Amino acid sequence: MLQYFDPNKDYGTPASLSEKLVTLEIDGVEVTVPEGTSVMRAAALADINIPKLCASDNLEAFGSCRLCAVQIENRRGLPASCTTPAEAGMKVWTQNEKLAKLRRNIMELYISDHPLDCLTCPANGNCELQDMAGAVGLREVRYGFDGENHLDAEKDHSNPYFSFDPSKCIVCSRCVRACEEVQGTFALTIDGRGFDSKVSPGQNQDFMDSECVSCGACVQACPTSTLMEKSVIDMGQPEHSVVTTCAYCGVGCAFKAEMKGDQVVRMVPYKGGDANHGHSCVKGRFAFGYATHKDRLQTPMIRDAITDPWREVSWEEAIAFAARRLTEVQGKYGRESIGGITSSRCTNEETYLVQKLVRAAFGNNNTDTCARVCHSPTGYGLKTTLGESAGTQTFDSVMQSDVIVVIGANPTDAHPVFGSLMRKRLRQGAELIVIDPRRIDLLKTPHLKDAQHLPLRPGTNVAIINALAHVIVTEGLEDKDFIANRCDDKAYQAWRTFIQEERHAPENVEAITGVPAEKVRRAARTYAQAPNGAIYYGLGVTEHSQGSSMVMGIANLAMATGNIGREGVGVNPLRGQNNVQGSCDMGSFPHELPGYQHVADDAARARFEDVWGVKLDDEPGLRIPNMFDSAIAGTFKALYVQGEDIAQSDPNTQHVEAALKSLECLIVQDIFLNETAKFAHVLLPGSTFLEKNGTFTNAERRINRVRKVMPPVAGKEDWEVTQDLANALGYPMNYGHPSEIMDEIARLTPTFTGVSYDRLDQLGSIQWPCNEQYPEGMPTMHVEDFPIGRGQFAITEYVATEERTNSRFPLLLTTGRILSQYNVGAQTRRTDNQVWHDEDVLEVHPSDAELRGIQDGDWLGVSSRSGQTVLRARISDRMLPGVVYTTFHHPGSGANVITTDSSDWATNCPEYKVTAVQVEKVSQPSEWQRQFQTFEKLQHQLLRGEKAESGAS
Amino acid sequence: MSNQLDTLIHMANQIAANNSHYGSEAEATARVHSHLTKFWARSMKQQIIDYLQNDGSELSPLARDAISQLQIRPLQERG
Repeated sequence: MLQYFDPNKDYGTPASLSEKLVTLEIDGVEVTVPEGTSVMRAAALADINIPKLCASDNLEAFGSCRLCAVQIENRRGLPASCTTPAEAGMKVWTQNEKLAKLRRNIMELYISDHPLDCLTCPANGNCELQDMAGAVGLREVRYGFDGENHLDAEKDHSNPYFSFDPSKCIVCSRCVRACEEVQGTFALTIDGRGFDSKVSPGQNQDFMDSECVSCGACVQACPTSTLMEKSVIDMGQPEHSVVTTCAYCGVGCAFKAEMKGDQVVRMVPYKGGDANHGHSCVKGRFAFGYATHKDRLQTPMIRDAITDPWREVSWEEAIAFAARRLTEVQGKYGRESIGGITSSRCTNEETYLVQKLVRAAFGNNNTDTCARVCHSPTGYGLKTTLGESAGTQTFDSVMQSDVIVVIGANPTDAHPVFGSLMRKRLRQGAELIVIDPRRIDLLKTPHLKDAQHLPLRPGTNVAIINALAHVIVTEGLEDKDFIANRCDDKAYQAWRTFIQEERHAPENVEAITGVPAEKVRRAARTYAQAPNGAIYYGLGVTEHSQGSSMVMGIANLAMATGNIGREGVGVNPLRGQNNVQGSCDMGSFPHELPGYQHVADDAARARFEDVWGVKLDDEPGLRIPNMFDSAIAGTFKALYVQGEDIAQSDPNTQHVEAALKSLECLIVQDIFLNETAKFAHVLLPGSTFLEKNGTFTNAERRINRVRKVMPPVAGKEDWEVTQDLANALGYPMNYGHPSEIMDEIARLTPTFTGVSYDRLDQLGSIQWPCNEQYPEGMPTMHVEDFPIGRGQFAITEYVATEERTNSRFPLLLTTGRILSQYNVGAQTRRTDNQVWHDEDVLEVHPSDAELRGIQDGDWLGVSSRSGQTVLRARISDRMLPGVVYTTFHHPGSGANVITTDSSDWATNCPEYKVTAVQVEKVSQPSEWQRQFQTFEKLQHQLLRGEKAESGAS
Repeated sequence: MSNQLDTLIHMANQIAANNSHYGSEAEATARVHSHLTKFWARSMKQQIIDYLQNDGSELSPLARDAISQLQIRPLQERG
């Protein structure tokens, strides 16, 4: 049987998953393929390439171009090979005179209505129409070129990343089908009939005015240059490519960086990518221009005080300055007075090295990471209940789910490629349950069969998860065999007693959550009775005062219904940034060494001490919020921050700013002068994912390779900078390549012992654990047992948040993300993605707006117990009345000026999702915003080496 | 009282409130104690122990019980 798969080749139609095989003969070659495979694909697998135009192996067969016609023994006519299934004993001929004539005739018709501008066409050299004209031997067009045609059709340049030139369209429908089948947006259609048929975004709109989300699937599908990247139009066709991993969200899409020398021409989603299978979103596909943006920091800089101009220095001087300041601070204030922060935007190797620097060179455990403010409750909750701080499935697992529960997540915006896969499964008939205060776009999925929305009040997650569990237990919907065989009985009995209490009944919880009891009962029954029920959750679960309790509540629900340990089920945290999973795996948290090994575990610590050659502290270090408090208290004095912007992303901005101003030495390593860097004394230029080697680990525990395609703008990859700093501090590090860092990680981390760059190159990617027991990794976790033996049900008492509305702050603010921007926006704000979202707005429900006389576009003062900011109003009924919503992609918006210090009880993850606020119309920016503008102006002036203007502070 | 200590007291009480429904008082205390031991930094432990010894009035009974059993491993000399 032919199993060879080349991700760079298009096999014409999708693979069949059938286990039954059929053998046929194509052009005299015997071919064995799974039943259901098309003749076209069977031929391609045997390296017999049938001409085609409307077929692509990421789309269902369509059979419109007829170019792929073949002759089959004992069959009438010349059937299309794309729509004809291979059958046992079939004899197929793909080339003969009759077929050649037919194909030439077809091509003649296409070319008679196509511009003959091949030499100046941007697709020249990479055009399927051109290739097919060559393949069929087209030599003349008997119809001439003077007939009615589409050559004057108007071009659409409205999208910033690609253009649409209908004069080159052959109406193969690949773009329309890609939009439907791959992306699931249904923004494109074929308008008109016969000769008038044309591709139309929306209802004859421009691309920008249509529902198009700029994922690029249509551009990739186009066999001509009808839909073409503007970067290719500008630069020409690329000459080589490198497979690497996207540096946006936790999906971890593989891309081919298509290059001209060291310039990226375009990023093309890689079909061999195990997480994305050739699909992409607007960020990964198009928003890479920040890498060459003029704002990139290109030279190390130092200064004594944050009011001083920056001084450009050599790497050596900057590193020596940083090391001297750190040593001085420790000498004056003690060993525990300094620390470091790793970033989920950096590679595994980089985060590993930063935490190693802190533990081994700084001599304490004051290391933390930005997962503190997003998924730290996932780490706590899943480790407590299931024994491992990670999601249980592959993304592909969702295609086996019958019921999909989405809690506090917005996949189509925050994890778009997985959102598309989810939509595909929903179109196939899976049921959807959304538990979220907002009506997320997934609920508007075209052809969605059934959907239940439980729009709960922010802050009441645990109450509703308990109510769902109560229904399952009291209505006898538990999976008793799973519980008996897989779960700890004592913990289960304690939980069962707790959850059966009448106070958890949906009817009694309704007053807390605002969700009608019958809706809760229906959702519980739907999930529990599904053959395969899967839960996906995001920051709407974790970023609460009970984030960890909610994660444990989700795990309870999955265990109670036996939805763990096979395809189609599971507990799946959707990680926000590209390497949240990896930065946690790599020991970024102050209490855990790499591989989630506690610092107080003598045996684990001894292994690290042996390899690192230094004694390690056995008490946990400070978490980020504790670092801030200690800085303000005067006991924490120096901080090394790699790739993270705590001044913008962390809550209660004014508190964070006060903490940063209290530091005697702040070292920031970043690609831009971010908000944190404005408080820094040392600036170390960072490198983008295009400029370095390493690995990212996505939300499905998949370790993907990041490959360098261009040199770092400032000359060093990030891991080299950390290494230099360690050496300057007297702690030797001598890695020659990130692969050596991974080798050390593998030696010290039981779940990584089988991971190496060679192995990653062989397998493409690896889902940890990867060790002797699982040499190729583990796609689905907990199939036979849990790492802690038996699953531990946890008692999840609902404890209401202290952040409550009152007459002064009568509304609840919740925050989130949108499709086009990423996290603090440092990358996407420096791309054309700005055209979709150039400012953060406050979404207000129509009834709340009416009460306050608010119109769309009004300036609104938003006040909380922490502070005030001003945002523009957008009237929206996506939230419940009483709830307002904003994003935090623009620093000047000050969204985090209003979020508070309230945090998760177990992990200190901030309660971004619940802030009591008042909203009123105003006419000018807030006091904080005015100060922000002044400070920003000053810092940019200082960056240019200029002294502060008189009066500036 | 410093803001930092206020925060620590609040955190300890929050941990206690979220573990108070586990079976017996002894089990709840053990859970809170274990949490503080595993996740709190040395300086945080020291501050909350000092507070309990000097005052402790704003701590919940469960938090007090757990903190009273808390021990800190001293910072070792580096090898």
